[in-house]
Amino acid sequence: MKNEVNISVESKEFIENLRVYLFSSGKKTDEIDEIILELESHLSEAEKKGKSIDKIIGKSPKEYMEMISDEMLNDYRAWFKYILLIISGAFAITIIRDVFEGALAYSVLEIIGHILISAIFIFSVLKGFKYISTIKQSLWKQVAILFPIVMLPGALFLGLIYLNRVVETPLIQFGTTASMIIGIITMIFLIGMSIWAKTWILIVFVAFLTLPNYIISHTALTSETQLILESIIMFGGIGIYLWLSSKLVKRKE
Amino acid sequence: MSTTQMLKGILDGCILAIIKNKEVYGYELADKLENYGFHSFSEGTIYPLLLRMQKEELVTSTLKKSTAGPRRKYYSLTPKGEKELEKFIDRWNDLQNNVSNVLQHEADVKYNKGDETHEK
Repeated sequence: MKNEVNISVESKEFIENLRVYLFSSGKKTDEIDEIILELESHLSEAEKKGKSIDKIIGKSPKEYMEMISDEMLNDYRAWFKYILLIISGAFAITIIRDVFEGALAYSVLEIIGHILISAIFIFSVLKGFKYISTIKQSLWKQVAILFPIVMLPGALFLGLIYLNRVVETPLIQFGTTASMIIGIITMIFLIGMSIWAKTWILIVFVAFLTLPNYIISHTALTSETQLILESIIMFGGIGIYLWLSSKLVKRKE
Repeated sequence: MSTTQMLKGILDGCILAIIKNKEVYGYELADKLENYGFHSFSEGTIYPLLLRMQKEELVTSTLKKSTAGPRRKYYSLTPKGEKELEKFIDRWNDLQNNVSNVLQHEADVKYNKGDETHEK
């Protein structure tokens, strides 16, 4: 049920920014849709009468967005869902990849580091989107803000690997059987969570991050070809999945 | 103090009064307020207010199809909202009385003072 509303480019931009702002402030999706629908039709009627967007939202779009946001309830269930998905996703990817390579062993530092990095990532993504939505910026500036945020966890993980070599913390080791059991539990957990969150994205990520590595390492190819093949399948596979699912979403609309 | 600051709270009561009389949708409400003389406020301010009033269960809303395109959200008053409106009217009458008393009285005093200085 899409309503065709005729509004100016400026108003459209404001509406989209408001949606991003409210979403990254953790508001309920239905409530966001409702207020957006209302404002869209208000803007459209006001513009028909020759009023400018300033007359509606005041001089500061940011202040107006805050005013709206303050009156809406936070959707803690959705927040919890995303945070759990990202943190457990990060763990599951590591655990399953390591299971394929043999027994599991993690230092306390690694475990704490994983949780911290995931938390920092979620926090910075939400802050970044919220910031971008409140000020007028070119596409390039937006990319310039989001790029470091996306790259941040990678850099932090590298730092963690290095730190783990330098600093010694107690090591938690598991035998082969225990590792297999943990691997299976992780898989079941991943599948369960994917059903709950209604998305296959975690499973697809884990599969493309672990399976090619495992299968190709058992071939007679040179290690260089293995590495290249691995990354092509990994990034290509994930890319195709994201492309396909975005197409599906568009078709649903 | 700016008009916007003075308007806070007063606007709430006016919105309740308009909604009580007839179910309205957002734009209609803003339009009515403007016709009553509230020109200085930005129309969008009514939405955060309406959101809060809904949370406080003073108003309820229903989506209805309109003849001209998109669906509209119509607001109506709840029994709790009606009581709130009555309270607002009482408070407003009180406030209005007090303020005009103060202004009138103080204006008189100033006038007397002026007379006194004039005499000396």
